[in-house]
Amino acid sequence: MYLFANATIYIGLAVAIYSLLIITLGISTKNQKFVNSGKGGLIALLVCSSFAMLSLFYLLATSQFQYEYVHDYTSSELPVIYKLTALWAGNAGSLLLWTFFLTLYSFMIAFSRKLKGNPMVPYISAILLANAVFFFFILGFVAKPFILLNEIPIEGKGLNPMLQNPGMIIHPVTLYLGYVGLAIPFAFAMAALILKNVDDFWIKMTRRWTIIAWLFLSLGNIFGGQWAYVELGWGGYWAWDPVENASFMPWLTATAFLHSVMIQERKNMLKIWNISLIIVSYALTLFGTFLVRSGVLTSVHAFANSNLGLYFLIFMGVAVIGALYVLMSRYNLLKRSAGEFNSFVSKESSFLVNNLLLVGAAFAVFWGTIFPLVSEAVRGTKVTVGLPFFNKVEAPILLSMMFVMAVCPMLAWQKSTVKNLQKNFMIPAILAVIGMILMVVLGIQKAWAVIGYGVIILLLITHFLEFYRGVKARRKMTKETPLVALYRLMIRNRRRYGGYIVHLGIAFITMGIIGSQNYDLETMKTVDLGQSIELKDYRINYDRLDQKKEGINDIVYADVTVFRNGKKLGTYQPEKVFYGNWEQPSSEVAIISSLKEDLYIVLSAWEDDGKATFVVKVNPMMNWLWIGSFMIVIGALFAVWNGKYGNVTPRYTGVRREVS
Amino acid sequence: MKNKLYIGLLIIAFIFQGSFLRVEAAKQFDYKSPEFKAVAQQFACTCGCGQDHYECDPNTCNLTTEFKADLVGMMNKGWDKDKIRAYYVNIYGEEILTSPEKSGFSLTAWVLPFVVLGVAGIAVFFIIRKWVKKKGTDEPVAECQNTEDEVEGEILSSMIDEERKKYL
Repeated sequence: MYLFANATIYIGLAVAIYSLLIITLGISTKNQKFVNSGKGGLIALLVCSSFAMLSLFYLLATSQFQYEYVHDYTSSELPVIYKLTALWAGNAGSLLLWTFFLTLYSFMIAFSRKLKGNPMVPYISAILLANAVFFFFILGFVAKPFILLNEIPIEGKGLNPMLQNPGMIIHPVTLYLGYVGLAIPFAFAMAALILKNVDDFWIKMTRRWTIIAWLFLSLGNIFGGQWAYVELGWGGYWAWDPVENASFMPWLTATAFLHSVMIQERKNMLKIWNISLIIVSYALTLFGTFLVRSGVLTSVHAFANSNLGLYFLIFMGVAVIGALYVLMSRYNLLKRSAGEFNSFVSKESSFLVNNLLLVGAAFAVFWGTIFPLVSEAVRGTKVTVGLPFFNKVEAPILLSMMFVMAVCPMLAWQKSTVKNLQKNFMIPAILAVIGMILMVVLGIQKAWAVIGYGVIILLLITHFLEFYRGVKARRKMTKETPLVALYRLMIRNRRRYGGYIVHLGIAFITMGIIGSQNYDLETMKTVDLGQSIELKDYRINYDRLDQKKEGINDIVYADVTVFRNGKKLGTYQPEKVFYGNWEQPSSEVAIISSLKEDLYIVLSAWEDDGKATFVVKVNPMMNWLWIGSFMIVIGALFAVWNGKYGNVTPRYTGVRREVS
Repeated sequence: MKNKLYIGLLIIAFIFQGSFLRVEAAKQFDYKSPEFKAVAQQFACTCGCGQDHYECDPNTCNLTTEFKADLVGMMNKGWDKDKIRAYYVNIYGEEILTSPEKSGFSLTAWVLPFVVLGVAGIAVFFIIRKWVKKKGTDEPVAECQNTEDEVEGEILSSMIDEERKKYL
């Protein structure tokens, strides 16, 4: 097994190098045979990485502790599902997962039906192969997944209990799918540039890939936040930790990219910008990995520190410099086709503002994340840049972003006249202002909350009007019933309406964020048995403290009965778990969730006489976050779904070559 | 005499009420109260947990237990959050804070994102102006198309597309 597992990695590396060389040779000598051989290599690579994954899964599932990785991240009493998911608990395994996704995507692209006979394929394959060479090199020489220990331990160290949560099963997978997914549009963009194709073929071809990568990136972040909320006993979901920032930055730039490509498609403009955005997004995925794995910044997502980060930094440097070189060498070609705008006030301009704010937000995150390093380099003083900084800096930028999002659907392409604006905006704006006044009257008086919710009201109305007008226009022509008209309207322009659903999802998430950040309540009290804690409308009776054993873990739990306005809601059990093979105990919180708010109870400490300390939180509108997340998924899937309409493969009009 | 004793006790109680309350307060101090949050959230815990002293769990981190107690002590002395902040920065330097100071070099942390946004915003403005101007000199501004026409146009073209697919 040892030989087999290692063989998959080293053969993979050899195949990747071979394929890269042969495909490059094929391109330069215009020899189809060589290119085909390289493409065959992609299949072999997928086989190698699949077998490597299967091997590690097998070793983990059967608890073969003679392997360092198995020993470090699992133990024999772990449920099978967590034994398997320990594959992405450590450096080597998670990079193996990354490699697997990369080879899978490369295979899908190289053998895609739509790209058959397309001269871009060899170039795209070569770029993805260069990535594969890097990852197999890392797996082969830096973070090796299959290392044998000198002696066979009887038991493993166990999996960090924090990671034993359903959220953790899926969070890294989605995040990596998103990270790797961004390599695809990058490869397409580079291939198009090398081939001197300056049309938007690559954008149309990769639109779906980009949206899917974006969706996975969003999901990765959301699952991460959800996990933090239920598992860390801290009551929050986003801490602006360097690692969270690392996945948020490419999300922001990819979002900017998804919007600005529409201008390229419509007006044949912003080509250089779009390519720069995709280069930046791709580079940020690597930069994020560098941050996580290098240990240059303190982070709760502590991967074992190693020089792995350095390799990522070097690879990122090479990729970015290479990409910039290609971009510069094609600069004149791209510049030549610059178009023009009709007016200051138009959808085009609003997309530019959207890009400005999204990239600005990404820059602010980037700056805040690296500022400790900058400060240390410049002044020799290390500073911490934490949650208060990011909240303060990001809130105005992202709120402006929400405003643009609210306004944009109402702006026409080409040009909006003042009359047009008045007609479209008067009612939504008045309603939003009325909404804000109502909020102030009803007691919501924090400035951020009032402005934020005002903007969201505007957004909801403008989006509603978009749907309403579409349905009205359709019915005028077809006389369909409203629901049929809505359905047909949407499936005939999936991208547009899918996008609107995503917008609504973001609005819901923002409502949740504003509510939970501004109106959360918290208390920490030590009470005797039988006593109660009161917070807002809630009364929490502390009834019992007891201990139980589950496997090798000891669990101390408290029975609490929760009343709301005197009405009993039920009995709940916040727990503290002490692990047989892990030093740090963890809290299992009791969450009583409703649309309005979550009651979040943590058993913090206790004494021999039965006294116990609880942390009780009321987090308003948390469920709105999860509902919004769900809408994002629905919207993104709706947009990429392979429908009957408008699903035409773009025609390739670029340079022809002998090889494809 | 009894009355005098009562009055004496009352006076003593009156004099010491502050400290009685303080003792009570220290015993049952709510480490999750907004007042404490405002103070403690400023300071980063250095135990490696990556949290601030408000979030850091005293059950798993010894460092924060004492730090929290010190903070409560200072709050009871009537120090406000800025004074406490200054006190700790004086001892440990800026590193103890969860966000950089808004002065000196650290000010750049706060300002630069907005400066960049501002400069980029002005650049975008001029770029759009250039593009609009170019258009203006080339040809008269095209007829404006309002959103409704646009939606109708899209629907129409999709219906034509549909019909076309039916017959071709």
